[in-house]
Amino acid sequence: MTFRLNRRKLLAGSAAALGASAFAMGPGRAFAQEQRLRLMWWGSQPRADRTFAVTDLFMEHNPDIVIDGESIGWDDYWPRLATQVAGRNAPDIIQMDYRYIFEYARRGALAALDDFIPDTLDVSDFDEATVQGGAVDGSIYGISLGANSSAMMVNAAAFEELGIDLPTNDLTFDDLRRIGEEITANSGRSNFHGLSDSSGVEPFFENFVRQRGKALYTEDGELAFDASDAEEWFSLWAEMRESGACVPAEIQALDQRQIETGMVSLGHAAVSSAHSNQLVGYQSLNEDPITMHAYPRIAAGVGGGHYRKPSMFFSVSAQSQNPELAAAYINFFVSNPDAASILDVERGVPESAAVREALAPQLDDNGRAAVEFISELGDLAGALPPPPPLGAGEIDVTLVRVSQEVAFGQHTPQSGAEAFVAEAESILARDA
Amino acid sequence: MSTLASPGTAKATTAPKSAGPLKRFWRNNGAGYMFLLPWFIGFFGLTAGPALVSLYLSFTNFDLLTDPRWIGAANYVRIATADAKFAASMRVTFTYVLLSVPLKLAFALLVAVALNRGMRGLPWYRAIFYLPSLLGTSVAIAVLWRQLFASNGLVNSFLANFGIDGPSWISNPGTSLYTLVILAVWQFGSPMIIFLAGLRQIPQDMYEAASLDGASKWRQFWKITLPLLTPVVFFNAVVQTIDAFKAFTPAFIISGGTGGPINSTLFYTLYLYQEAFGFFRMGYASALAWILLVIIALFTAFSFLSARYWVHYDD
Amino acid sequence: MTDTAAKAVLDDDRGTEVVGLDDKRKPWASALIHALLIGASILMLYPLLWMLSASFRPSQEIFNSTSLIPSEVSVDAYPRGWFGLRVSFGVFFWNSLVIALLSVIGNVMACSLAAFAFARLQFRGRNFWFAIMLGTLMLPYHVTLIPQYVLFLNLGWVNTILPLVVPKFLAADAFFIFLMVQFFRGIPKELDEAAMMDGCSPWRIYWKIMLPLSMPVLATAAIFTFLWTWDDFFGPLIYLNDMRTFTVQLGLRSFVDSQGGQSDWAGLFAMSILSLVPIFFFFLFFQRLLIQGIATTGMKR
Repeated sequence: MTFRLNRRKLLAGSAAALGASAFAMGPGRAFAQEQRLRLMWWGSQPRADRTFAVTDLFMEHNPDIVIDGESIGWDDYWPRLATQVAGRNAPDIIQMDYRYIFEYARRGALAALDDFIPDTLDVSDFDEATVQGGAVDGSIYGISLGANSSAMMVNAAAFEELGIDLPTNDLTFDDLRRIGEEITANSGRSNFHGLSDSSGVEPFFENFVRQRGKALYTEDGELAFDASDAEEWFSLWAEMRESGACVPAEIQALDQRQIETGMVSLGHAAVSSAHSNQLVGYQSLNEDPITMHAYPRIAAGVGGGHYRKPSMFFSVSAQSQNPELAAAYINFFVSNPDAASILDVERGVPESAAVREALAPQLDDNGRAAVEFISELGDLAGALPPPPPLGAGEIDVTLVRVSQEVAFGQHTPQSGAEAFVAEAESILARDA
Repeated sequence: MSTLASPGTAKATTAPKSAGPLKRFWRNNGAGYMFLLPWFIGFFGLTAGPALVSLYLSFTNFDLLTDPRWIGAANYVRIATADAKFAASMRVTFTYVLLSVPLKLAFALLVAVALNRGMRGLPWYRAIFYLPSLLGTSVAIAVLWRQLFASNGLVNSFLANFGIDGPSWISNPGTSLYTLVILAVWQFGSPMIIFLAGLRQIPQDMYEAASLDGASKWRQFWKITLPLLTPVVFFNAVVQTIDAFKAFTPAFIISGGTGGPINSTLFYTLYLYQEAFGFFRMGYASALAWILLVIIALFTAFSFLSARYWVHYDD
Repeated sequence: MTDTAAKAVLDDDRGTEVVGLDDKRKPWASALIHALLIGASILMLYPLLWMLSASFRPSQEIFNSTSLIPSEVSVDAYPRGWFGLRVSFGVFFWNSLVIALLSVIGNVMACSLAAFAFARLQFRGRNFWFAIMLGTLMLPYHVTLIPQYVLFLNLGWVNTILPLVVPKFLAADAFFIFLMVQFFRGIPKELDEAAMMDGCSPWRIYWKIMLPLSMPVLATAAIFTFLWTWDDFFGPLIYLNDMRTFTVQLGLRSFVDSQGGQSDWAGLFAMSILSLVPIFFFFLFFQRLLIQGIATTGMKR
């Protein structure tokens, strides 16, 4: 039986029905005025400073428009956004993550931006692939604020102490294991291993299956890898653990996928997995110099695992009273040279070629490293993968758990792989 | 609600002749309802509505962003039959409740009794002992617990003196939950303060009389302090149990929201939160919430029944 | 100011020495207890010391050093943190203070009224409503969040402090009702029965007998309300949009981002330390009421 109810009516109606209406003052929503926009993003204080500065600049250019900015850390951002969207009080401009954009767009929470391109939103000098990175089921729902790729963060001092050369783009998994073993065996640092255990790191796993000619998901939202891929992956890391190349399970479990709990930040390993826009974050928590490198090849000459991924987007809420104005703000944000100069590469390498060029002289070492990392991936980078289906977020979490079960010996790589694939399939079936 | 709707049906005969049933009801019960008026406004205006909506949502597939669709008892059926995480989080939560509540209460009572005396620096001790509870939601706790209970943490350095090579307590699925129990016990400030307030309410003359009779401190504690404190012990036990069932923040902070390693700290409400806000299954999360409510209510009802035998009220 | 004020509290406490052993009678026992308490205090203080040390040290050292002593000490993080966000922490402190104090007033008034009814008045449906009241403690707030948000949105209260404060005046926090009920029931019933005989109204009994005799529990409720409101971040997170209305906890949450770029961790910890100062002293001062309470109880009996 299906019994559909308008959600807003339901929630508002029944919540208020029991007496609250007695002292209701009616909706007094000031932000419904035409020329006022709300903008919400996650990030730390330096990002807030830059974003507010751009917002001020925009308001200088457009004195009749007011942009109200709201900033909060990543963990708190998502329940807050979900509540506001569910209450039909979403901000006009929403910073979106690559994972969540599909969840929000497919559920109708975001406005398609195609109508505003190219008149209001000029993305003509963007790399076509990154524009498509914001596409969900054929429409553009997000404008990339910067390019990004998964990467390995390396404690360069730990390499240098042992006279080991830093990884190059020719690095293979075998090389990586040898490096890991050497560092573990010879490093004088206490409780220190060569590598972090990345068996639960989804982008690394994705990179691995892409090099095997597969992907995480098909266009139809099915799994695009099978148990044999996962088994190979888990075995590879099981060997790393056995040989001591990477940290033991107990240590790896300290990693909660935050910069501050990464194995490199905690001083437990010389190499760990992250994203290229996190280099600055890693460097700010480490005394040793941190460098950034591409993931290894599964064999010499095989590439295509990486891809240029939008680090984050600006999207426009489907509830926005003035989506065109929101689009105009986004356009200003990604292409105005003064704005770009304020923003630097803090959100990733800008997508606009003109902006990138203009920025080049002002970049510091970390900024230059981020730009170079992306531009020098060469044959390591492949095409953008099909968008993840609903439920992909839970599969990501499941990979972490199963990788721990394998690492702690509750599963063999084979049984772990089978369990992972079975659970992933049931998640996809549940949310389909 | 039936109480309000059908006043004076049962005892109508005993009331004075002239007044109508409504008036009679008001004369006998009016004062109680007047004092409860703010609470009634709050309850009907702010609390009951959202709670009932969440009950309704538990029978839907509400995903936060699109309209809820009625799916009958499907959520409940899945929880009962096909949800391994539900079972895991139940195990974690029950273990946590059964360990942390008695330990925390015992510790809080011990410290409260120790602090319930005239001595120098008392306010400072009380404040310092409350401090861990003040830090409850701070990131600092996560870092601190890692420094204490990780493989090269302080606990293991201490154990190394005895030749013991401890595990990485906080990130080992076999031990991580116990570090959260320790965290709960360490944050014993609130029940301690309530115990202290309770101890302060015990009339001094009772101790004075007992002292004259030659009763030892130990005997006084068991014969006077504890019996007179039972309403407060009862309160703390009920409230701490409810809190422990609903515990969210400790696991969220210590496990970084993951409930890991391997679901070993997947508290029930953390699982609920992941379902609601991580995986967009608010309908399912609502069903989880109402199941938790029933479990807590059963526990609480049992406590109230047992209270007849061990809680001493002055009335 | 803090030093003299704290001293007053100390003196106060010694003046009303009443229970059990005192320092003079058994010096060895007292020394032992002090030793134990000081030992335990260090255990309790450690995280605070760690936070303090983190606020003085460079960010690079915060997460991978187990030592409590910073390699270099700098107090820069304090002004940097205070003015680091677009709105200064002074505003956040003020907002938190307003919300917390209003909550204290609301909770103490509204909850004591309800608790008096449950503890002392006879009325039909008392047990039923008491059970319902306890039931409101049991539902995880995550699932009522969205309907409640919609409700407050329709009232036009979102982005004001009303959703955070008004419920307190309507006794929405059953914890405190239950707490006060337990304490009210501990007050000898002969007192209000005698007053009732003298023709006192329930209101006078509540106001003239119950409240004065309940100082310890009212102080406890005040302390908890203040501390918990001060520490609460989920309510403000959901209901406050404009940064100028942010509370201290929201300010702290705007400092760092575990996923993104540079974060000022030292600044975060510096502000975390400062955020503890008001609640620590609120706690210290309100303890006086705990003590006054017994004195009064003793007199009346």
